[in-house]
Amino acid sequence: MNDISNGVKIIFKQILKYYLKFITKIVLLIHRPLIISVTGSTNEFFVKSEIKRRLEQAGYDVRSNPKNFNTEIGLPLAILNLSSGYNSYKNWLPIIWRAFISLFKPTFPKILVLGLGIDKRGDMKYLMSLVKPKIAIVTDITQRYIESFSDMDDLVGEYKHFVESINENGYLILNYDNRRIKKLSGFTKAKVIFFGLEKNTPSLNNHWLGEITEKTSSGQTVAVTDGNETKNYSINRFGEHHAYALLIGLIVKKIIINLK
Amino acid sequence: MFNRVKNLQLSVIKQMEIRAAKYPDVISLAQGIPSFDTPACIKRRVERALRAGAVAKYSLSPGLPELREMIEISLAKENMFYDWQKEIIVTAGSIEGLTAAVLAVSDPGDEIILPTPTYVSYKEVINLAGCTPIFVPLNEDQGWSFELAEFEQAITPKTKAILFCNPNNPTGTIYGREQLTGLAELAKKHNLFIISDEVYKDFIYGGSGKIFSLAELPEIRERVIRVFSFSKSHAMTGWRIGFIHSDESVIKEILKVHDCLVTCAPVISQYAAMGALEMGEGDVINFKKQYDRRRDLICSRLDRLNKYLRYIKPNSAYFVFPKILNNSDSLALALELLDKVQVAVVPGIAFGPNGEGHIRLSFGRTEAHINTAFDRLEKFFSL
Repeated sequence: MNDISNGVKIIFKQILKYYLKFITKIVLLIHRPLIISVTGSTNEFFVKSEIKRRLEQAGYDVRSNPKNFNTEIGLPLAILNLSSGYNSYKNWLPIIWRAFISLFKPTFPKILVLGLGIDKRGDMKYLMSLVKPKIAIVTDITQRYIESFSDMDDLVGEYKHFVESINENGYLILNYDNRRIKKLSGFTKAKVIFFGLEKNTPSLNNHWLGEITEKTSSGQTVAVTDGNETKNYSINRFGEHHAYALLIGLIVKKIIINLK
Repeated sequence: MFNRVKNLQLSVIKQMEIRAAKYPDVISLAQGIPSFDTPACIKRRVERALRAGAVAKYSLSPGLPELREMIEISLAKENMFYDWQKEIIVTAGSIEGLTAAVLAVSDPGDEIILPTPTYVSYKEVINLAGCTPIFVPLNEDQGWSFELAEFEQAITPKTKAILFCNPNNPTGTIYGREQLTGLAELAKKHNLFIISDEVYKDFIYGGSGKIFSLAELPEIRERVIRVFSFSKSHAMTGWRIGFIHSDESVIKEILKVHDCLVTCAPVISQYAAMGALEMGEGDVINFKKQYDRRRDLICSRLDRLNKYLRYIKPNSAYFVFPKILNNSDSLALALELLDKVQVAVVPGIAFGPNGEGHIRLSFGRTEAHINTAFDRLEKFFSL
């Protein structure tokens, strides 16, 4: 009985996956939003939030995926702005209907900030068959989710596919402090911009350097250097990951403003 | 031999449970465990981690990065900003976090202030650390609120910390912002730590539905250690999983103790906690609705016993702490109830000297259990 139930669940999931993909691709074709994709082992949430915040402050119409909606089912739901039915067939029925209705909605955000999550081989290929990002970001690569891969090279292969998929008109924003990510710049035709916090990095035109200069009880100050210009930013959050998120947010904002 | 532990006691709650286990038809309103099973979404998350072979190894001592990142996100929604990499430790339930915190911030011979009545095990943790618990009575006539002047009077050069739970167990009292900021001022003035156990913060009935936490105040983040557990909020008492957070300067010291005590929280339970944070929100709301109904039920049943028990309706958690009228020996009454009508309750004396003359009743149990227990209590009191 359990086997039958599991079998039905697997079939349902496959049908749902391709149904949502089909609808999502049509919706993206109709509205053609600018897509910013964020991937990496950590910091996806804070980077997405920072990009969204910076762009909204600049007056852009932005939406990002909520919670952990960054997988084969979650990503289409995020794009279509739908909730998940999780493990309930009953809960999925209205969502399936609302997905269809979304084909006819006249309004759609101009910019989508989408996290892409991988936890097994082939995930990235599927996700990149759904979206074509104009701006792509790799936050960090660690051994998180390594259990599902044969080794680190196998895991990094997913990110390699990600950077290879960005075309020459796109932008790739990479963490210079992570050796594995730095090397990914060799696999893309896109324009590459690096960010990092490590002080002893070579002076590069395309490198944004951050330094946490002060920590107080209410937050931290980050000095951001882009080329010859350094500017201080106060943030009411703690930790290096917020300094990284700030750098990425500023880079994305600059790119978007220059795209106008 | 056994010098360190000779003055420790197994908590009275657990002692009552052990006694109660000898009675096959006992109804227990003693232990503070939810009647619910762990939500299915959490179990599914754990199954996924098991299948992926992700649970067999230790995690980093402070916990899985992805879980700590989720904890930071959930804290930020509650106006608390902590760095998951340096300021959050995943613990084996709240009591391990509390123990690690007390051991880290105190030296043997120090004093730690506890409001009373308060959770039974705090006293034992303080004793284990070689410190002395100093009880400050809560004011029952003011709805079990605390008087700042009494706290200040209790402070001596040996005082190292003030430890309390908010909402309070066993009274279900919520300490307000004004009271807590007053406590924070005292902590600053006398160079004390504040350890705030907030495991019942999700079960607030009426009002804003949210408690104020001193961990929201950036200016005292170096003094406040906040503890939380998934046990009550997500019906996960058996999983033993929670977390503790404070400023980096404090957490780096607590981490050393945590590493000695458990190396890391159980990894399988860390995945369960991830499931709770990812998908368990709806279940917490559902639990709260049911506890609210049970609170009304237990209060209505207590109203019928108003010649014998007088209570203050709790605003939170799932306990009611009635005063026993015409009898001040709470342990004797608890034992008599167990023996004569097989209802297990916790004697108020377990919660410190100011708890004497009361009993704690849990409405974490099902409505059927509550009704059966009260039918027996009515029989006991010869109604």
